[in-house]
Amino acid sequence: MRKMFLVLSLLVVASMVLTACGGGSTEPQTVVQTVIVEGTPQVVEVTVAPSEPEKEAVLRVNLGTYPDIIDPQKSSFVNEIAHLNKVYMGLTTLNEKLETVPGAAESWEFNDDATQLVFKLKPNLVYSDGSVLNAKRFEFAFQRNIDPATAGQYASITDEIVGAPEWRAADTSAADYDPEAYKAALGVKASHADGSECEGYEDTACDTLTLTFSKPAPYFATIAGIWVGYPAKEENIAEGGEIWWTSSKFQVGNGPFIWESVDPFVKSVFVPNPNFAGAGIPTYKLEFRYITDSAVAFEAYRNNEFDVIGSAAEDLPVIEADPDLSAQHVTYAGSCTIKIQFNLQPTWYDKPNPFTDKKVREAFALAFDAEGWTRDVDGNLSLPTWTWIPPGYPGYDPNSPLRFDPEAAKKALSEASEPFNSPEKLNALGLKLNFGDTPRNRQRSEWIVANYKNILGVDIALDPVDPTTATALQKDPNTFPLLSRGGWCADYPDPQNWLSVYWRSNTTFASRPGYANPEFDALVDEADQTVDPAKRMELYAKAQQVLLNDIPAAFGYNTLNHYLVKPWVKGYLTTPQDAGFPGDVTPWTITIDTSMIP
Amino acid sequence: MVNYLVRRLLWLVPVLITVSAVTFIIMRSAPGGPWDTDPERRQVDAATEKSLNAYYGLDKPMWRQFYAYIIGDTNSQTKEWVCGMICGNLGPSYRQRGRTVQDILFAPPEGKNFWQSRFGYSMRLGVLALSMAVFIGIPLGILAALKQNTLIDYTALFIATSGISFPSFVLAIFLIIIFGSWLHWVDIVVDDWTQIKYWFMPMIVLGFGTMAYTARLTRSAMLEVMRQDYVRTARAKGLAERVVIFIHMLKNALIPVITILGPALAGLVTGSFIIETMFSFPGMGRAYVQAIGQRDYSMIMGTTVIYALLVAVANLSVDIIYVFIDPRIRLEE
Amino acid sequence: MATPQAPASNRVVDLNDIFRPSKSLGQEAWSRLIRNKASVLGMFIIAFFIFLAVFASVIAPKDPLELNAGKRYLPPPFYKGTTNIKSEPEFLLGTDSLGRDVLSRVIYGARVSMVVGFLPTLIILLVGTTVGMISGYLGGWADNLLMRLTDVVYAFPDLLFFIIVMVALRDSFIGQFMNGLVLLFAALAIVNWVGVARLIRGQVLSIKQKEFIEAARCIGVKNSRIMLRHILPNSLGPLIVWAAFSIPGLIITEAILGYLGVGLRPSTNSADFFITSWGALMLDGQTAINSQPFLLLAPAVCVALVVLAFTFLGDGLRDALDPRMRGTQ
Repeated sequence: MRKMFLVLSLLVVASMVLTACGGGSTEPQTVVQTVIVEGTPQVVEVTVAPSEPEKEAVLRVNLGTYPDIIDPQKSSFVNEIAHLNKVYMGLTTLNEKLETVPGAAESWEFNDDATQLVFKLKPNLVYSDGSVLNAKRFEFAFQRNIDPATAGQYASITDEIVGAPEWRAADTSAADYDPEAYKAALGVKASHADGSECEGYEDTACDTLTLTFSKPAPYFATIAGIWVGYPAKEENIAEGGEIWWTSSKFQVGNGPFIWESVDPFVKSVFVPNPNFAGAGIPTYKLEFRYITDSAVAFEAYRNNEFDVIGSAAEDLPVIEADPDLSAQHVTYAGSCTIKIQFNLQPTWYDKPNPFTDKKVREAFALAFDAEGWTRDVDGNLSLPTWTWIPPGYPGYDPNSPLRFDPEAAKKALSEASEPFNSPEKLNALGLKLNFGDTPRNRQRSEWIVANYKNILGVDIALDPVDPTTATALQKDPNTFPLLSRGGWCADYPDPQNWLSVYWRSNTTFASRPGYANPEFDALVDEADQTVDPAKRMELYAKAQQVLLNDIPAAFGYNTLNHYLVKPWVKGYLTTPQDAGFPGDVTPWTITIDTSMIP
Repeated sequence: MVNYLVRRLLWLVPVLITVSAVTFIIMRSAPGGPWDTDPERRQVDAATEKSLNAYYGLDKPMWRQFYAYIIGDTNSQTKEWVCGMICGNLGPSYRQRGRTVQDILFAPPEGKNFWQSRFGYSMRLGVLALSMAVFIGIPLGILAALKQNTLIDYTALFIATSGISFPSFVLAIFLIIIFGSWLHWVDIVVDDWTQIKYWFMPMIVLGFGTMAYTARLTRSAMLEVMRQDYVRTARAKGLAERVVIFIHMLKNALIPVITILGPALAGLVTGSFIIETMFSFPGMGRAYVQAIGQRDYSMIMGTTVIYALLVAVANLSVDIIYVFIDPRIRLEE
Repeated sequence: MATPQAPASNRVVDLNDIFRPSKSLGQEAWSRLIRNKASVLGMFIIAFFIFLAVFASVIAPKDPLELNAGKRYLPPPFYKGTTNIKSEPEFLLGTDSLGRDVLSRVIYGARVSMVVGFLPTLIILLVGTTVGMISGYLGGWADNLLMRLTDVVYAFPDLLFFIIVMVALRDSFIGQFMNGLVLLFAALAIVNWVGVARLIRGQVLSIKQKEFIEAARCIGVKNSRIMLRHILPNSLGPLIVWAAFSIPGLIITEAILGYLGVGLRPSTNSADFFITSWGALMLDGQTAINSQPFLLLAPAVCVALVVLAFTFLGDGLRDALDPRMRGTQ
């Protein structure tokens, strides 16, 4: 036995040595140095050689976090969607001004009361593999999004469609559950131009998709363009099973790129799709990398290993000090508005809630130094705001009664009702700022507390919990924090997404903190159903003013998209909706000037 | 011996069940659930949440869910019997929908072999890091002990101190700046993990702490042994110094080193969150940490159970190795 | 283990006692310890940091929580840096991302980090050593049960545990007490004693078979005395190494817990005792390594000094307490 052990241990040691040797010696220096030494004469030869090999046009982007799921009807995170919108295109798409423009559909038409929307597909649409793309594919996409078996996070975004809420809420374990019946009752129908039935996925004449809504939905052409309507192939999903999306070979789409390969957590490679039916075909290869540490990404960028990275506030002083880097630093408005949100429920853990008093809310809103925040916390990588819909989005209205004003804030507080009308009385209640504890959020919260202390003289305790707990606390009106930082990022550019989806009293976001104003509800309801765009915008503008007057939160700042972009990346058109790199919404306008690459 | 082994292996069952139960209770007491995501985005709708809970059995009583995880249960939607942990099924991931935990951790991406699965990557890096700890740490410790209070000893001390004072996130960025940005010896952005050159930095960062610990433990144990009578006797007998060091001293000095290397191996091969995020290394270390943040229950259970299994087996191996190093140690009286 | 009184009775109790010199064990160990220069240096460094920690409010030049608007990432006066930001002489080590004085924060950070490094280490040593000794010495069923327990505890989901106690007790006295530091100790101690227990058990298994233990047992020395007087002193080596590693390990663990959202409760009141920690500073510093390297370097150097100090002290202590070194210099 002992001998056997000796032999065994020798084997173990030998195999370890072998692995160690296989992995090179433990001193990387020598190995690499020899390479350099051997390489030197070759380098000389190369420079002597007359023609230098043409550099490949590649756009290397650091996307950050690797996605959890890349399935059009199940994904919900920005980094996931950044992959999907490369491979697929919806019926409509956005242009650089965030206007809804034709995507796979050539045109669309609402009926008079906006309860029906008919899309006409572009002729001769094909997938990147050359197979036919007809209206049936889009019908399947919407059906799959609504099907309770899919249960995606964005399933409810198509609830305007007739039959969608019913099917989603169906009891799928019931014995008489019949998905086909629900599918048939759904207001999604693919047909030939004359309205006759389509014959399947090969039917090239099947070019019409009709969506029927249970209430007017004039904004739905925009929703129809988001990722839940991307036409992933039914047979690929069936063949790949539930994990079909992990394989790039099943991700056959109609988007600007073909997903050539994926090495999880390391890189994804996309090549141009010659069959793309959008406004242009990209001329470069796109590579996504997944480095989440901003310091590492910044080193790699300076090393010319990335063409685009998101810049970090921590690196900003270095960027500003370097003329090259500051010329490469691109910032423009983003898609989120962040606010300090107040709990508006009558009581908070059985104690009187000061934020039921509008004057207290006014004091806290006026005391928030948004410009100071932007400067001191975000290093100017955010934009101060006093309103809800961010700049660059339809419905943006800079008029707000809530601009930072320390004196007015103090006055408002003194005008509040008993027992909330002085800092001392508020302190006695024990105000707390709840936040998901990450290093970044901690700095932010420390700043917010210091800000209110300086301006109002109010002491707010920090209440950190782990990030998921913070989310869970906000889910329940009874545990919704007195003060917290939160916001909203646009799903699609329409005021409906900012106002009706977020602040209408029956939505999750308004009901959790307890915001309800019948006047606001009536205005957005009317706007949602108004077909005339000008009138619609006017109603939304009114609704937004009502919202601002109610002060349900201290509107703080808008996020900024901020990237470092190498000078050889040209022609990108920025939009607030960009995810991953500037020009993400219209990637075909980007060109790579390979002559400039060192 | 065989008897002992069998008995110890049987003990794995209660150990793993206890670990699962403790993890299950703690995990389910934590606020929030797998469908609670970024509050700045559209939330999972109530109807959708209900159908998700029904599909994954999260609407059943707790004991039933635990039973289903360990033994198995009938899915209320598909009416199919799904076997639990006893069949090696670690459950469906709630975040990477459609994939099971064993598929995420052990199945390679298409067209790759097992070594390119997340566990395979972590295991390779872990073994490399441990080899570094053993093949540099132990000799360094021996040298430091033989040359106590000389320059060599202090150099070894310096290396060990820096190895443990700088957390891995600091060590990693230092190496990246030095070797990537200044010397340009290696790319910062890893193109392809099949190339050996990319493995050095993560290996060093992962193994440095263990190496430092090993070196210090070896040194301390060697100093202890050097003062023992039998070493003096061996030297007096005129045995070659090499024989004295390696046969008489090192063997006896190895007990504490072996003790820590067992669990260290289990820790190293299950990966490290920080190293994986810094080097975009596709291992399994971040799975556990991310799963906790996402309340991906099956993933939390799966990674914990795998780690428990590895630790238990590692400790068993350590106990057996004791006997070979020091024959006077008996496994059971 | 030092007993001040001279061994009573003329019974042969302890082989070592035969050679017991006139001085007591403790006194002699101490005198050997202070003759070791490195150990003395170590003691000085530790004393220095304890002093810093205790008197932080007096020593720190600035309020560690004071935000200086528009003064983010000031470099220290002696360092040019890679940014265009001008240093200011009043901030000796520059400022952090919110314009707070780094030097003052490092000084205050000594409090949390010294306590987080020390106290759990003591708890862990106590629990781990007890379990390891009992397990190794008694063997059999006791050993088997205790070691299977350690197998379970190795895989204990500490992060999750910490999340639930932090959330459940965040409004209670114990959750608020010392900014949640007590909970942190508990969580760190619960998972970390197993390493010590296994380490000690390994030593005990080997030592208990040695001749001198056999001899002691033959002459009827009690088990508890054998464990405390013979086995424990001979197992000190690895323990001391472990302790010197545990301190930085815990300081860093505290930082990583903070990174994962379950760290120490941040303070908003500069009158609080615990404000920030070296670990938290290093985390901030790592992301800002290009803009303000001293945010990372200053706490990292402090941790390194503490580790070095404990290593020196530990080495000296081991030598001083080694029964075979008795009477030598």
